[in-house]
Amino acid sequence: MTALPLRPWAWASAGVRRRWRRWWQARLPRSDTQLLTQRNVYILPTRAGLLFAATLVVLLLASINYQLSLGYVLTFLLAGSGTVSMHLMHGTLRGLTLHLRAPQPVHAGDAALLDVVLTADARARHGVGLRLEASDDERAATSWIDVPAGAQAAARVSFVPAARGRHDMPPLVVETRFPLGLFRAWSLWRPAAQVLVWPRAEQPAAPLPAAPVAAAASGVARRAEGGDADGVRPYRRGDPLRRVLWKKAARSGELVSRDTGSTLQHELWLDYAHCGARDAESRLSRLAAWVLAAERAGVDHGLRLPGVELAPSHGDAHRRRCLEALALWR
Amino acid sequence: MAVTSAASAPLPRPAWPGWRHLPRETRDTLFLLGVIAWTVVPHVPRLPWWCSLMTAAMLAWRALLALRNAPLPPRWLVVVLLVAVGALTLLSHRTLLGRDAGVTLVVAMMALKTLELRARRDAFVVFFLGFFVVLTQFLQSQSIAVAAAMLVSVWGLMTALVLAHMPAGRPAIAQAGRLAARTALLGAPVMALLFLLFPRIGPLWGVPQDTAATTGLGERIVLGDVAELALDDSVALRLRFDGAPPPRPALYLRGPVLGAFDGREWRRSERGAMTARAGELRVDGPALRYEMTLEPLRLATLPLLEMTPAMPPIEGLALRRRADGQWVADRPITQRLRFTTEAHVAFEHGPRASDASLREFVALPEGYNPRMLAWGAQLRAARPGADARALAQAVVEHLERGGYVYTLEPGVYGRDAIDEFWFDRKLGFCEHYAAAFVVAMRAMGVPARIVTGYQGADPTLQDGWLVVRNSYAHAWAEYWQPGAGWLRADPTAAAAPDRIGVSRSLAAPPGAVAGAIAAIAPGLLARLRSGWELVNHRWSQWVLDYSRGRQLDLLREFGLRHPGWEDLALLLIGSLVALALAGAGWAAWDRHRQDPWSRLRARVQRELRRRGVDAAPHEALRTLAARLRDVHGDAAHAPAARLDALDRLRYGPAAARRPPRDWWPGFRASLRDTAMRRAPR
Repeated sequence: MTALPLRPWAWASAGVRRRWRRWWQARLPRSDTQLLTQRNVYILPTRAGLLFAATLVVLLLASINYQLSLGYVLTFLLAGSGTVSMHLMHGTLRGLTLHLRAPQPVHAGDAALLDVVLTADARARHGVGLRLEASDDERAATSWIDVPAGAQAAARVSFVPAARGRHDMPPLVVETRFPLGLFRAWSLWRPAAQVLVWPRAEQPAAPLPAAPVAAAASGVARRAEGGDADGVRPYRRGDPLRRVLWKKAARSGELVSRDTGSTLQHELWLDYAHCGARDAESRLSRLAAWVLAAERAGVDHGLRLPGVELAPSHGDAHRRRCLEALALWR
Repeated sequence: MAVTSAASAPLPRPAWPGWRHLPRETRDTLFLLGVIAWTVVPHVPRLPWWCSLMTAAMLAWRALLALRNAPLPPRWLVVVLLVAVGALTLLSHRTLLGRDAGVTLVVAMMALKTLELRARRDAFVVFFLGFFVVLTQFLQSQSIAVAAAMLVSVWGLMTALVLAHMPAGRPAIAQAGRLAARTALLGAPVMALLFLLFPRIGPLWGVPQDTAATTGLGERIVLGDVAELALDDSVALRLRFDGAPPPRPALYLRGPVLGAFDGREWRRSERGAMTARAGELRVDGPALRYEMTLEPLRLATLPLLEMTPAMPPIEGLALRRRADGQWVADRPITQRLRFTTEAHVAFEHGPRASDASLREFVALPEGYNPRMLAWGAQLRAARPGADARALAQAVVEHLERGGYVYTLEPGVYGRDAIDEFWFDRKLGFCEHYAAAFVVAMRAMGVPARIVTGYQGADPTLQDGWLVVRNSYAHAWAEYWQPGAGWLRADPTAAAAPDRIGVSRSLAAPPGAVAGAIAAIAPGLLARLRSGWELVNHRWSQWVLDYSRGRQLDLLREFGLRHPGWEDLALLLIGSLVALALAGAGWAAWDRHRQDPWSRLRARVQRELRRRGVDAAPHEALRTLAARLRDVHGDAAHAPAARLDALDRLRYGPAAARRPPRDWWPGFRASLRDTAMRRAPR
């Protein structure tokens, strides 16, 4: 994807090309496991390949004019190697199995990592590149990998989803120029897996809302005011590191933890309706930040969205549930 | 690697971290610089000094930049250097075009381009310039040694190219080298096919000229200029006869005939330059059929066996026989020729009756060699009525008895060289004898001329071929006898009978190494030399000498009656299409080929599905085993254990290349034995 050309006909041709590409991609079936075969590996000479062909023509002309037998040998050796390199390159992709591991959810604006496992058969594969089909800078976005014979190797590509929700994977391109770079073989792959994108967590996060009156005298309220009034007790095995009071520990030489046992008993409702009067996406963003903050603080929190209500709880599973609800809301 | 360190040696280096610890980028750059240096070095003797110096400096600079990981010089500096290269080339060669200027430019530009290796495109430019430099090396020499050195270059360039396309990790250079060699070897059949069948055509424009005569044959003789004759032992031509070869003393290969004499210099005569008239060559006796391979002598003359009346046509050359019996081409012959023709050892040529064409062969310049003229007139007067044959005999007899010495180091002669040789110093080689004989005959009014060419051959055959070396270059004489025509006389034989017929009697003293070898194992040197020459001969026969004629011979061997270049082209296209189909067939076959592990996996998966255990293709065997246990509990213990064992075999420290043969039957049996219910189908 280069910069848009300036001439009108080029504009038109770029449009046609885009449409053609979309039509073509839509025809590709989606699958998480793709075996590369003759049917889905394409091949074209690169610019270097054309330059190479021109070089061969000049070498041939020189050999003819100066009647150099060894010149013929050189020219034909290069021509033979170039031809064979096309087959070798096609063979580099052919028979390769690509498998996409189930992608982990991410926040909008963060990079989603796609872990692709490449499995080779009896032949070793070199210089296999993997990238998003729609990457701006192909060279930089490509992740290169060698797959030993009969083994697996993992490549990682990242893309940054713009909005929350459940998204289709962008189409991936697997390509190679090995061994001589005169041709480029590539295959287009549309993985079936979808990636869940949580709302972007508000940055910097607004302070957690005060607990409702029903949950009075809680640690949460105090925390919101300054937080230093928590109880302190000696470190016990299993205490999360973020509860360790490092400054105190450094002074006294003993590990001490913040005693937040009391806060666990209180409930905090994170409510769409009471989180500041702004547009929907900012609210979701703030709620996401609060979910994370509440989880960090170890507070039981419930989530209330119009039409959705999750009972207060805590833990990783609860956090994921909340974030998913935020991601998929409406 | 040695070349690389040599390239970076002249400059103070930062601490050398060792080849293995270099960053990959640096290592690859140094390797490429080494390959470039190796490719350029053979050109150095012919490059202008500034070009060699500049190339070395730029390669060293680039190596230093790579070692220090320093940024490349700015583009304007490269442009300035480029302009400087152009100006210096113009200054050295007076042109930017042409062969020598081209080589200088390509070498300098390749070195310059290394300073600009930013993108992959730049690297490609270096590679392709490198292939040009390799080709230009062949303009100078196509010997086996050069071919081997250039093969290393091409291999190195291809290795660097492969290395550039293995972006992952830090592949070993040896690995890239193996992959490059594999590509080239797989490409070799295509190369052989193209080499054999690509129709050879003549030069497209201009004729490559090289004026430096490198052989024993010349088109003129200046007597007395040569104080010492260096023996050039290189092979001039090879002969193979259908039957027994004629005796060595009868082997006269006729080269330029020199009839015009201006007192100092002998040249070809004008009359002789005319095309021979019919009837001037009368052959007798059976024809002697022979095959000749003629090295490129860079003369327009073909030294053929005396006397060869007809020649087969040779592609790209217009041949004719001149009136003086010499075969000439329309241009200097710069490629190796190979042809078959016939000669007659018994022959007469030239006019039978005296005619005007003979007049120039009795002309002598006035004021030169007065004593010789007087001597001739005196001899003539002493034998009234003697014919040319008798007079020639008298001159030869004088030579035999006169105390003449054959030597390759006669020293320099003055203005009246013939007089000096004939009466005073009596030292000379074949040219002196032939020239003196001709002047003596002319002094007696007999038409005479010098014939140059080759005489004799190596005493042993090589592979069935008689070898004629440049050191067998010879000069003899012809005089005209009424009623018979031109007759050969070899005055050198009178002074040095050994020179004629017996070969290698005048070998130059051997060098120190050769002398030592000869002292240890006499004969070994000769055998070594003859073996090497044999290899060389095969090389030129099958590689360098491969021409349109040989291509058509090949087609004839395939059974084509009258092959032409169209047949070559058709055969070439047909074979290439066949090769392409074979390649496509291989790819199609390869598609269905699975490695034994995948095949076994697929079978295991099918079998497990039947028993209600779902399995995805990417899942590990041990995952399948765990799932089997989950679904069927203890009943599945035996087959699950077998799956685990297979997983260890596959991925364990001693990973097996293929699964053991008895695994599948065992697995099937254990599945059958266990009391597992089958999934409903």
